[in-house]
Amino acid sequence: MSAWSALAWASRVLPSRIRARKRVGIGAPVGVALAILALSPAVAQHAAAPAHAATCANCHQRVADFYAHSPMRHAMADEGTNAVLEAHPNLSLQKNAYTYSVQTQNGKSIYTVSDVTGSMSLPIHWAIGDRSQTFVLEKDGHYYESLVSYYQRDVTLATTPGDEDIVPHSLIEAVGRELPLWEVRNCFTCHASGYHPDETLDGQKLTPGLNCERCHEGAVEHMADATRKDLTSLPDSLDEMNARETSNFCGKCHRTWDRVVREGWHGPPTVRFQPYRIANSRCFDAKDKRIGCLACHDPHQEANRSSAFYDSKCLACHSGANTARSSSASSTAMAEPPKICPVAKENCVTCHMPKVALAGGHAIYTDHEIRIVKPGDAYPN
Amino acid sequence: MLSQYTSKHFTIGGAYSRRRKLTLPALRLLLFVGAVLWLASLCMAQGAASQFDELARQAAAARDQQNIPLATELYGKALELNPNWAEGWWNLGLIDYTMNQYPQAIDAFNHLLKLDPHAVPALAIRGLSEFDAGDYVASLKDLELAMQHGAANDKDHEQILRYHLGLLLTRAGRYWDALSQYRSLAGERFESPDFEVAIGLVGMRVPSLPSELNAHDTELAGALGKAAHAFLVDDSDAADAQFNSLFARYPTSPNLHYFYGFLLFPHDRDMAVAQFQKEIAINPSNQLATGLLAFTLMYVGRYKDALPVAERALAAEPGMQIAQISLGRSLIETGDEEHGIEILNQVIERDPKNLEAHMGLAAAYSLDGRKEDALRERMVCLGLGK
Repeated sequence: MSAWSALAWASRVLPSRIRARKRVGIGAPVGVALAILALSPAVAQHAAAPAHAATCANCHQRVADFYAHSPMRHAMADEGTNAVLEAHPNLSLQKNAYTYSVQTQNGKSIYTVSDVTGSMSLPIHWAIGDRSQTFVLEKDGHYYESLVSYYQRDVTLATTPGDEDIVPHSLIEAVGRELPLWEVRNCFTCHASGYHPDETLDGQKLTPGLNCERCHEGAVEHMADATRKDLTSLPDSLDEMNARETSNFCGKCHRTWDRVVREGWHGPPTVRFQPYRIANSRCFDAKDKRIGCLACHDPHQEANRSSAFYDSKCLACHSGANTARSSSASSTAMAEPPKICPVAKENCVTCHMPKVALAGGHAIYTDHEIRIVKPGDAYPN
Repeated sequence: MLSQYTSKHFTIGGAYSRRRKLTLPALRLLLFVGAVLWLASLCMAQGAASQFDELARQAAAARDQQNIPLATELYGKALELNPNWAEGWWNLGLIDYTMNQYPQAIDAFNHLLKLDPHAVPALAIRGLSEFDAGDYVASLKDLELAMQHGAANDKDHEQILRYHLGLLLTRAGRYWDALSQYRSLAGERFESPDFEVAIGLVGMRVPSLPSELNAHDTELAGALGKAAHAFLVDDSDAADAQFNSLFARYPTSPNLHYFYGFLLFPHDRDMAVAQFQKEIAINPSNQLATGLLAFTLMYVGRYKDALPVAERALAAEPGMQIAQISLGRSLIETGDEEHGIEILNQVIERDPKNLEAHMGLAAAYSLDGRKEDALRERMVCLGLGK
């Protein structure tokens, strides 16, 4: 049936006003790129806690002091005091036909993209991440996720995670991927404070990083009451959450198991989504706090980088001596005692929680899907 | 039976015996006559073939010279000589279609499709001819089948096929199937006022063609479609502004908030919830909006809020699956695991690969301390999620 195109029948039947306006499209790369950078560990050289934290610090001094240096507190860098960029004031990258530079001077950082046709420079108001950073840029009321990011591990600019397949056809496309309304909201909801989903987004009014209220809902009211010696309006204690509740709580930003499954995400990029990964573990028990996020991590502090630090967490269940579940665990769950590792009793995570490299090796993550890893095994799920 | 078989057998044998008794001169005469007859028929066939080839050549030439009446006549004559000529039916049908002779085009493609039932392009153009002839049911059937077999793989034809299929699906009340076609078109940067009206009809949930709308509805459909088109091409800021302007202009029109909520759902569930709530405030009997509100609330983990909404949706429409899933999962998450599991198992019985139902069961078993069951359901979900 070679005559399929014999006559221009389509153009006759198609309403004359209907035309396909071909525009060079970036496409719709899927993936939440910013998260990869936001979850990296913190440098301990951040500015002092903001006024809000200082107010909490009136009573919670010790926690506030820790939190002032935590990665979540610096999930977005303060414009004007971006220690990461100030430490590396002249960054550049040649990527295909485009030259990228991030130059920092007097507290101001400028993101520039150039090609043979010219160049485009935009100020960096929002740098996502406390160590490695992706930039949210604004031009004419539109927001863009920078096509290149800064990677602390290699002290370099490189392609932003998830944007590997984008082939820009213009300077503005080379600047970055235009963010739809909801992605901008998601960025600022998880990396800044002061934004409420019901409000119109105003990037200028946001407070970078997460303040106490962001997790401790009711903290502001509690502070106000506390100044009047009224301590009845206490925020809910997050300590009481079981493993599943913690995963869902932290997963609001770090991605819940439900979210990842619904989105159909799989493969190594999911290593960024720790609540999802740990829920895939055979040892995950919804009601047992010992497998919850807070069992190993204090969100007020930078994650401990020592493998040995986590041994006690693993042995809390897998020691053979102490296999009783927490009081909230069900009796059914106790039927099968946790297995004891026949190989070692230290540095458990080095074998059972392997490292996974992403973004061309610029970022390394710990896989939270706890398992017996055999040589040659493919990345599961 | 045996005697009949034996008798026939011998009759055949008898005939054979008689032939053996023919004399040699008679046999020669018979061979000569046979040869003459064979040669005569061969010459006639060659003459007809020659005539057919000539007609086909002339028809193609007339077609190439845009002499459509002559081409039609010549193709007709050629097809009288050789009705099995598929290419002839194709060209004749194409000419008839081009000349707005839709019944004739349909007839030509009917012949072609009898010869070659897998001629997808013929199926597609017959579908378009049926559309123009007003046979919308046959047109929908043909276009859907053609699309399933790759008729839209050619970008030049994709637009017209998807556009018409979208119109027909809307007319048949299959709004989300229609939207799927329009989403693909919008992704190709296809745009026009007509297209916007077509999208708007989907949003209004009106089972009509654009040509059947009155002026007011055409204007509303156009504005709604314009906002939705902006959304489909990822211009979310413009879409949001246009939808809000639309809501101000048509504050009581049904389905507008519902449509925006439906579009928002995959991207921003909080915004979707707000839209479904507004729709229900305008039109409390909108059960689809109620069901989707319950589902969205469940989806974002607002189980206590989802429960009464899901119950309301199910009371109005007991078989609504999204409401059943919402109710089952919400019951599980709010403490009534047994009842929730029962409801989700009913869903799985009808729809064994329902991801949300399996996710609900995974949650239920996890909360119930049934670690192995929970792990098994989680693995089922991971398989379905991929």
